[in-house]
Amino acid sequence: MTGAEDDRVTGAEDDRTRGRRGRAGRLSRLREGWLARLRERVESRALTALAVLTSVALVAAFYYPTATVLIEAVVVDGAVTLGVFADVLTDPFYFGELARLLSGESPVAVTRSLASPDRRLGIVGFTAYQAALSTVASVALGLPAAYLLARFEFPGRRTLRSLTIVPFVLPSIMVAVGFVATFGENGTLNAALAAVGLPPVDLMFTLEAVVIAHAFYNAPLVARVTTAAWESVDASAVETARSLGAGPVRAFVDVVAPQVYPAVLTGAALTFVFTFGTFPIVLALGGFELATVEVFVYRLVRDLSYAEAAALAIVELAVSLGVLLAYLRYEARSSTSTRGARPLPRRPLVPPTPSLRELLPRAGLAAYAVVAGVVFLAPIASMILASVTGGDGALTLDHYRFLVERQQTGAAFQVRPWPAIRNSLLFAAAATLLALPMGVVVAVLTTRRYRGRTLVDAAAMAPLAVSGIIVGLGLLRGLVFGVEIAGWRIAASGAVAIVVAHAVAGYPFVVRTVSPGLSGLDRSLVESARALGASRARVIRDVELPLVWPAVVAGAAFAFAISIGEFTSTVVLATGADAYTMPVAIERFIGRRLGPATAMGVVLLVVTGLSFVVIERLGGEHRGI
Amino acid sequence: MTTDDSETRRRPARSHTRRRFLTATGAAGAVALAGCSAERVDDGGGDGTDGGNETDGGDTNGGDGDGGDGGDDETPTLTVATYTNFIDAPSVSPGEWLKEEFESRYDATLEWATPDNEVNYYIERAASGAGIDADLYVGLTTEDLVRVDDELDGDLFAEAGEFEGRDRVRSGLRFDPFERAVPYDTGYVSLVYDGTATEAPETFEGLLDDEHAGALIAQNPGGSSTGRAFLLHTIDRFGDGGVASDGDGEAVEGADGDPDYDYLDYWADLQANDVRVLGTWDDAYTAWSNGEAPIVVSYSTDQVFADMEGADLEEHQIRFLNDQAYANPEGMAVFADADEPELAREFMSFMLEPEVQGEIAQRNVAFPATDDAELPSDYAELAQAPADPVTFSYDQLRGNVDAWVEAWERQFAGN
Repeated sequence: MTGAEDDRVTGAEDDRTRGRRGRAGRLSRLREGWLARLRERVESRALTALAVLTSVALVAAFYYPTATVLIEAVVVDGAVTLGVFADVLTDPFYFGELARLLSGESPVAVTRSLASPDRRLGIVGFTAYQAALSTVASVALGLPAAYLLARFEFPGRRTLRSLTIVPFVLPSIMVAVGFVATFGENGTLNAALAAVGLPPVDLMFTLEAVVIAHAFYNAPLVARVTTAAWESVDASAVETARSLGAGPVRAFVDVVAPQVYPAVLTGAALTFVFTFGTFPIVLALGGFELATVEVFVYRLVRDLSYAEAAALAIVELAVSLGVLLAYLRYEARSSTSTRGARPLPRRPLVPPTPSLRELLPRAGLAAYAVVAGVVFLAPIASMILASVTGGDGALTLDHYRFLVERQQTGAAFQVRPWPAIRNSLLFAAAATLLALPMGVVVAVLTTRRYRGRTLVDAAAMAPLAVSGIIVGLGLLRGLVFGVEIAGWRIAASGAVAIVVAHAVAGYPFVVRTVSPGLSGLDRSLVESARALGASRARVIRDVELPLVWPAVVAGAAFAFAISIGEFTSTVVLATGADAYTMPVAIERFIGRRLGPATAMGVVLLVVTGLSFVVIERLGGEHRGI
Repeated sequence: MTTDDSETRRRPARSHTRRRFLTATGAAGAVALAGCSAERVDDGGGDGTDGGNETDGGDTNGGDGDGGDGGDDETPTLTVATYTNFIDAPSVSPGEWLKEEFESRYDATLEWATPDNEVNYYIERAASGAGIDADLYVGLTTEDLVRVDDELDGDLFAEAGEFEGRDRVRSGLRFDPFERAVPYDTGYVSLVYDGTATEAPETFEGLLDDEHAGALIAQNPGGSSTGRAFLLHTIDRFGDGGVASDGDGEAVEGADGDPDYDYLDYWADLQANDVRVLGTWDDAYTAWSNGEAPIVVSYSTDQVFADMEGADLEEHQIRFLNDQAYANPEGMAVFADADEPELAREFMSFMLEPEVQGEIAQRNVAFPATDDAELPSDYAELAQAPADPVTFSYDQLRGNVDAWVEAWERQFAGN
C-alpha cells in the first residue's frame, strides 16, 4: 500500500517537471518509459512467475518425494499390480463390514450387519468415526471462542486472539504430559471435583480423552479461522438489514452467518483431515484398542512393508481429499459478496445495561470460559507445573538449569537449546514468507472459474492430507538421497530444504483462509482496477489482499505455527547437528525423567506465544480500505 | 590437493562430498535448490552408482589410511552411525566420553551420525543406490539384522573378522549367525512397579489375577522396542500357536508346555484384565509415573535412574516374571562399504576393552557384553539382571516376527 502511494507521488512530479528539461528530460523520459514498460511486464508476469515457482517447490518438496513412496502400492518388485490394494480393500480388519461389500457380498446382507449392534467398523471406519466426533467437539469448543474474540472488546483481546493458536504447535508428548496430569486418576480435574464434593471421572485411556485432546489441538484452529471471517463482515451490510426492519437475530442469520459459515466449515474440514491422520496422541491417551490408520502406516513403514503401507496411505489420502473436495465444492457454490470495508463494532464485555438480552450471551461465555479453562488452560498449566517439579515432587528449577547447562557444556554433536530456538524462529519466519505468496497465488488461481478447478484446489491441499510418515520417507528418498539426472545426483538437505518443506506444509492454510474471502469479493472492484490499467498482480496487492487482510494474517500465523511444530520432515532433512528445531530438542530431552523435556516444552510455548503476538501486531488490527 | 582433502575429510559429510558443488544458478529453481548439492555419479564398472562411489572413496582412503601412521598431518575420520540416545540423552550417554577417549588414544577423528530412521536409513540408502556415508553402526539388534537381510540382496554389513578382544564377548549374547554384529552391551526388559501401591505378581499368570486388573501398562509392539520385547517374551512363554507357520503346522512351542494356550490366548486374557497398551515407552512411563497404573513394562535398570534423581526406590521396584526378562543385546558392525574398515575394527576392539565396557554400561545404563568390564562393585545393586534371560535367535525371528506382531495387532485392535 505504501509502495503504491509512493508511485503516485513520483508520477505526479514527472508530469509537473516535464517540458522544462529539454534533451536530458527526453532521455530520462525514454529511460523511465522503458523502466515503466519493464515494470509493467514484470508485474504482468509476476503472477505467472509466482505460480511457476510455487509449482516447482510443490513438485520438489512434496509431489515427487511422496510419489516415490505411494507408487510402491501398485509397483511391487517392478511389476504393476492392484493386488495389494485389493487385499487392503477387502480386509475386514481395515474396512469392517464394508470390506464384505467390496469383496462382492450382497449389499442387503452387509446393510443388515451394519445395522446390527455388533457391526465391525474396521480400522478405517473407526478412524473416520473418531475424526467425526473430534470435529464436532472442536467446532463446539471453537465457535464460542470465535464469538468472544470477534464480537467483544476487552483488555488483552488481541493478545488472547494471538495466543489461541499456541496449542496447535505443541508436540504430542507435551500434550500427553499435560493431559495425564489434568484428566488422570490423580489429576487436577478429579482434585477439583473432589473439592466440590463430586465423584471422580475416569477419562484416561478412553475415546473421550482422545476426542478432548483432538479438540485441544483443533478448536483453536476453528476459532482462529472463524474469527478472521467474522472480523471481515462489513458493518454496513448489517446496518442496511437492520434499517430495512430486520431484527438482530434475522440480521445475523441473513447477513453475518452466511459470511461466517464457510470459515466454520473450513475449520471443520481441516480438523477432520488432521484427526483422520492422527497418530501419536491416540496411543498416548487412548491405547492400542483405539488405533487409527496412521498407527498401521507407521508400523508398516518401520518394518519396511512399503506396499501395504503405501496402499493404506492412499486410502487415507482418498478419504481426506474426498472430505476436502466436498467442502471445496460447497465453498465454490456458497460464495457471498463481501467488501469487508468496515468491521462490526465490538461490544464491551461488561454490559452497559444489565438487561436480559445483554446478560444472556455473556452468561453463556462465562460458562464456556469454565470449560475452556479445563480443556485448554489446565493441561498447559500442568505442563508448566511439570517443568518445575523434581523427581521427589518438590518445586525446583533443576530442569531449566539443565537447559542452561546443556547450552554451555553440550558437545557439538548434541542438541542445545539456543540453536534450537534460533533455528525454529528462522525456519518459521522464512517458511511463512515463502508460504504467503505461494498460498495467495494458489488462492487467486483457484478462485477463478474454470472446469476442474476444485480438483486443482484439492491437489493443492494434498500436503495436508498425506500421511506425515509417508512424506518423511519420501523426503528422505527424493531430497536427501536425491535424484539421478544425466549422471549427476542432485540432493538437498539442511536449512533451505527444511524451509521449503515447511512452507509446502503450511501454505494450504494461507489458501484456505484467504480463498473464501477472495472468492466473495465484488468482481467489479477487480474489473474497474484492471480497466484503469492496473496489472493483475497490482490488483491483488492493492485491492484484494487489503480487503481480506485478517484472513492473510491468520494464514500467516498458521504457516508459522505449522513450521514451529513440524517434526517429521525436520529430522529427516536436518542432516548433521546444526539444523534441529525446538520440537527436536524436546524429543531429545525426553529421558527417564520428563522434566528437561517439559522445560524445553515451556520454552517452546513461550517463544511461539510471543511470536504469534508479534505476527499479529505486525499484521495490524485491520487494514481495510 | 592434500589440504583440500583434509578439509573435506573433517567435514561432517565425508569423502563422498569431494565432488560436491553448490548450484548457485538457475533462477526458477533458486528457491528450491539453494541448499542443493549435485554429485557426479561415476559411470565406471557395471556395479552401478554404489560401486562407483565406493571405488572413489577407497582410492582416497587407501592412501590416507596408510599415510596416517606415517606421521603426516592427515587424520583419518571414522564415522560412527548410531541412535540418538547413545550420544545425546538428558541424563547420561556414552557418546561424548567414547569420542574423547577414542580420539586421545588413536590418531583419528570420530564423528557421530544419528539419522532419525536409524538402521532403516542405511537400508534405504543402499536400496536407493545412494551410497553408505558411514563406517560402522553401533546399536544393532537381532531384529535390525533380520530386516536388513529381508530387504537387501547385497551385504550392508561386512563380517566382523578377527580383531583383538572379540572372543571376550559372552557367548550367550552373540546374536548374529553370520558374525557381522558384535555385541557391546545388553539390556533387559522387565516389569517396573510401584512397591507402595502394589506387589507385582511373580508369574505371567499372576498378571491375570483380579487383584491386578488394570494394573499393567505395556507399549505397542509395532512402535516401541520395550513393547516388542514384552510381546516376544509372552511368545517365548506361551508359544505362537503356529500363526507364523503358513499352515505347515510348525509352531513355536511355549515354555508353559501347553500347546493349546498360545500368546494370543494370553493377550486375550490380559486384555480382559484391562491391560493398557500405549504407544511409546514415554507414553507408558508418563502414565505410570502419574499413578494411572502401578506396573509398567520397562528396563531392569530403572533404579539407576531413580537413584540418580533422588526418587524413592520403593516406588521403583523390578520384577522378573518367572525369574526371566527379555534380553536385547546391542551390537556393532562395519558397513561393507566403509571408507575406513581397518579403523572401524580398531574401534570395535576399543569398545570391548574392560575400561570402555564399564563406561558404556554405566553411561548407557545397560550391562556389559564382556565378563571383565570394570564396574563399580555396587553397580549390580541398582542395575538388576534376571536369573534366566530370554531372547529369540536370529533364525527364530526371521520370517516370523512380522506375522507375530500382525496377528497380535489384529486381535487386540479388532474394531
